[in-house]
Amino acid sequence: MDQHFITLTVNGDSHRVPVAVQDTLVDVLRNKLGLMGTKRGCTSGSCGVCTIQGEDSRAVLSCLALAIEWDGRSLTTIEGVATPAGLHPVQQAFLEFGAVQCGACTPGLIMTAKALLETNPSPDEAAINEALAGAICRCTGHIKVKEAVRQAIRRMAATTEDADGAPQG
Amino acid sequence: MLLPAFRYLRAADIGEAVAALAAGGDGAQVLAGGTDLLISMRQGLVAPVTLIGIRGLQELDGIDTGATGDLRVGAGVLLTDLAEHPVVLARFPSLAQAARSVGSRHVRNMATLGGNLRLPTRCWYTNQSADWRASRAPCWKTDGGLCHVIKTSETCRAINSSDTAPALLALGARLRLRSVRGEREAPLAAFYNDDGVRHTNLARDEIITAVLVPPARVRTLFVKAAARTGLDYGYGTLAAAVTGANKAIKSARLVAGSVGSWPVTLERAGQIIVERGLNPAAIEAAGEATREDLGEVANLFSPPGYKKRLVRGLVVQVLEQLRRIKPGTD
Repeated sequence: MDQHFITLTVNGDSHRVPVAVQDTLVDVLRNKLGLMGTKRGCTSGSCGVCTIQGEDSRAVLSCLALAIEWDGRSLTTIEGVATPAGLHPVQQAFLEFGAVQCGACTPGLIMTAKALLETNPSPDEAAINEALAGAICRCTGHIKVKEAVRQAIRRMAATTEDADGAPQG
Repeated sequence: MLLPAFRYLRAADIGEAVAALAAGGDGAQVLAGGTDLLISMRQGLVAPVTLIGIRGLQELDGIDTGATGDLRVGAGVLLTDLAEHPVVLARFPSLAQAARSVGSRHVRNMATLGGNLRLPTRCWYTNQSADWRASRAPCWKTDGGLCHVIKTSETCRAINSSDTAPALLALGARLRLRSVRGEREAPLAAFYNDDGVRHTNLARDEIITAVLVPPARVRTLFVKAAARTGLDYGYGTLAAAVTGANKAIKSARLVAGSVGSWPVTLERAGQIIVERGLNPAAIEAAGEATREDLGEVANLFSPPGYKKRLVRGLVVQVLEQLRRIKPGTD
């Protein structure tokens, strides 16, 4: 099999990984780097469970990207979302609103929501619906997910205001 | 499903890309966004020997407006960037609406305009796994000699589901194409064929490099009717572009997508609007005329009677909306 080495920066860590030309990004993340948070679902761009973020924070589908085309690039997976200081506001909101049932879609939904908030910090209802249309939960509806996303928007906006506000104390 | 093996070549520039495409013969294909091609490869519908990576090539990038107000969109521009571009939103809203209606946001963050324009036609008998297809006789699309949709059809009737194609046809766009033989420009109207197999006139060694939209002051809209708003192919789409005032319409182009093997220009309906102006009676008459304009419609993804009523409804809806938009001044 045709093997190539690529350099991939995942969640800030640089990796030199051997890949076959037909390896998709999700295969490399899961099978070569052991990052099992990103799921392999429909492999046809319909379900969104393989969602990751590229350099520009946009949500992309790792099942429809050839790993070899990502040589030299950086990406964020669900494993890079929480920090030692705690969960990301989107993750925290998913917990608080019970926006998780079986959990298979959760990494994709969280990456989708995080990408939305980083590219559009104050999305309206239509923008939330538009973003979430690309990541599907088959257990239940998107109501709790949307409630969680709205909570994350409020919390992130409040954090930004604190940071931008007058000197404290 | 796993991808079959292939060779991968990363093109450093457009010259290298067309050279590799020419050298690779029938087995070579370009890979841009990959959101459709990789799925077709997984399903065994195509099996390229060599994929030529053209993602991010500078020559395929950029959205520029010329001195005369014409617009050039690089074929490699991502659909998200096209849909959000301020000039496109302001002057050619139908193009932004069409770009935005493709797939999901995730898909649009990867998929390119050029890819959407040459999107392969789809059929529920062929766009399936290889095992699924093996349970039926091969059809026109799979090197057989029949059509499962219309048994008597002499050609493949698979549906062209591109959303940007009808929008750009209504705007009278042109394509810039490149091969080792040189560069050429062609009207988009001459690009599509009413044939699900040979659905475009793109030569095997050619790459679409840019789309050119002429500078006319148009009122333009695109609408899509699908089973759900996000991430779906249309049951029917309609793009319309009119120039002139309601009482003195200079041109009216109406193009229906996702109802046939090519985007169908509704000639008679457009002609009625030019002859009679943009008013309720003429709009009704234009809606009536769509049945004849559409001709024979295949029972594919939705029944033909439904498609015909749908397009008629979309024509009336879109023209009513356009009638209320103030025409731009030249």
